[in-house]
Amino acid sequence: MAQNPKPRSIIESLGEEIVRIITPVSICMFSVVILVSILNNSESSSASITSVATIAYSEDSSDSFWDKFEGALLNSLVFVAVVTVVTFILVLLFYLRCTSFLKYYMGFSAFLVLGFMGGEIGLFLNQYFSVPVDCVTFLLVLFNFTVVGVLAVFMSKMAIFVTQGYLVVIGMLVAYWFTLLPEWTTWMLLVAMSLYDLAAVLLPGGPLRLLVELAMARDEDIPALVYEARPVLASDLSPRENVIPRRLWREPRSGDSTLNENMTTRSNVVPNVNAVSRLESSQTVGSIVNAEEGQGSRGISELTAPLIEHRINVQMHLAQQAVETENLVLEGIGLGSSGAIKLGLGDFIFYSVLVGRAAMYDFMTVYACYLAIIAGLGITLVLLAFYQKALPALPVSVLLGVLFYLLTRLLLEVFVVQCSVNLIMF
Amino acid sequence: MERPREVEVENNNNNPSSSASALIGGGVRQQWPTIDGPLGLSESDSLWYARNFFIFGFFLLPLLWGVNCYLFWPVLRRSTSFPHLRPYIVRSAIAFSVFTAILGSWAITFIVGGERLFGHTWDELVMYNVADKYGLTGWI
Repeated sequence: MAQNPKPRSIIESLGEEIVRIITPVSICMFSVVILVSILNNSESSSASITSVATIAYSEDSSDSFWDKFEGALLNSLVFVAVVTVVTFILVLLFYLRCTSFLKYYMGFSAFLVLGFMGGEIGLFLNQYFSVPVDCVTFLLVLFNFTVVGVLAVFMSKMAIFVTQGYLVVIGMLVAYWFTLLPEWTTWMLLVAMSLYDLAAVLLPGGPLRLLVELAMARDEDIPALVYEARPVLASDLSPRENVIPRRLWREPRSGDSTLNENMTTRSNVVPNVNAVSRLESSQTVGSIVNAEEGQGSRGISELTAPLIEHRINVQMHLAQQAVETENLVLEGIGLGSSGAIKLGLGDFIFYSVLVGRAAMYDFMTVYACYLAIIAGLGITLVLLAFYQKALPALPVSVLLGVLFYLLTRLLLEVFVVQCSVNLIMF
Repeated sequence: MERPREVEVENNNNNPSSSASALIGGGVRQQWPTIDGPLGLSESDSLWYARNFFIFGFFLLPLLWGVNCYLFWPVLRRSTSFPHLRPYIVRSAIAFSVFTAILGSWAITFIVGGERLFGHTWDELVMYNVADKYGLTGWI
């Protein structure tokens, strides 16, 4: 006779879920820091790229403080405007049910990021380390990598690890590209995007909020690049006749109805047999990162390869203790599934951009900004559990990160350097 | 416990909707063909994936074979399970190892041989020179 297994404590389940989302964020940030510290040493900082984020003003290191400030402000306003317009177009397309077009576009942008930007960064690394690889091998490997990546993004039933790995790589590549922007523009852009995120999610007319409500009303997936952590299953789960659904997005539930709705099954767009979703609070907000590659210095006309990545911002739901015990009761019948924390790819990108930019100054700022971002992520999760509403993931982390960067650079560095020089503290 | 499992496999292949009752009645642990276990594909869905990954791997995509083997690792490990899936996975594994051996030996020959072996074509083939010649790094 099987004993009743001890229910997992909240530390094991909730902590495991949080760790499973913080790990990929940390990996993405870490790899961007490494890329930045390897590749941006040799290049001069004045090699600017022409993109949509610098069309208003291209920074010059000899400008005065106010010139740079105004120019950066202008750049970021233009960028946020473009992002807003594109998000509204996305909402319109979603409203008109052009989801297949959106999916193809998502696959196409993944192809561009992995193929072109991945290839370029591979070439940079090749040149830096003088790796004697021949072009046949390199192109073959790149081709394979790209195609499998596009498949992993497209197909919902690829191996979870492969999909997660490719999403992290895509986030890393786009974040590296963003660190090539001029400095002031990058910081203003981060602040502007977090304010935009705040507005787009919480204001009633915000595009992301509209998108969420549309998807909720139709009970559909939003075609987007979303990182989904592996759901934490109870360890004693044995006969389970239904495939646990891995939908990208689920309906929000409130309070009491959660327990009853655990037992309901519904079929959905994703080809799963029975979708039983236990969902506490899932809210989606999305915004679009629009980046264009251009060849400025060569004099060739701009090769605009519009690369739009739609990402869903905080789509998180925490495991509530009550629902979990209910699930354990249902174990014997084999129903019930666990939700998993999902984080939009744009969050990965902007966190990594912040840390990458901090790495361009010194590693001390990297540590400070990393701690700030993780703390911000934790605060956002707590706020989410508290408010049970759609909340954006960018503002708290990014604003904390920028604050910590400024404080470290202006105050802490002087202190630590003086301490080290006088051999008080290393 | 072979027979109940085979019955269950048959059930799954023929009629996925009845597998639920068969399982609850029999209390047999269902075998999951993918590495993700209950989060992954069911047996009936897997055939499409296994076959298509195998076929598309022939379009110069050996990584698809590798992903196929990784995704269906339980099928590879247990040699008596999933009779419909196993041929594709085994062939994918063989093809992947053969291709990797060929590509690896070519790459190692290229690296180790260097100019002694290839002469001036080594400089023409090596990637960083190709990138410089065609200006491939000027995009960013």
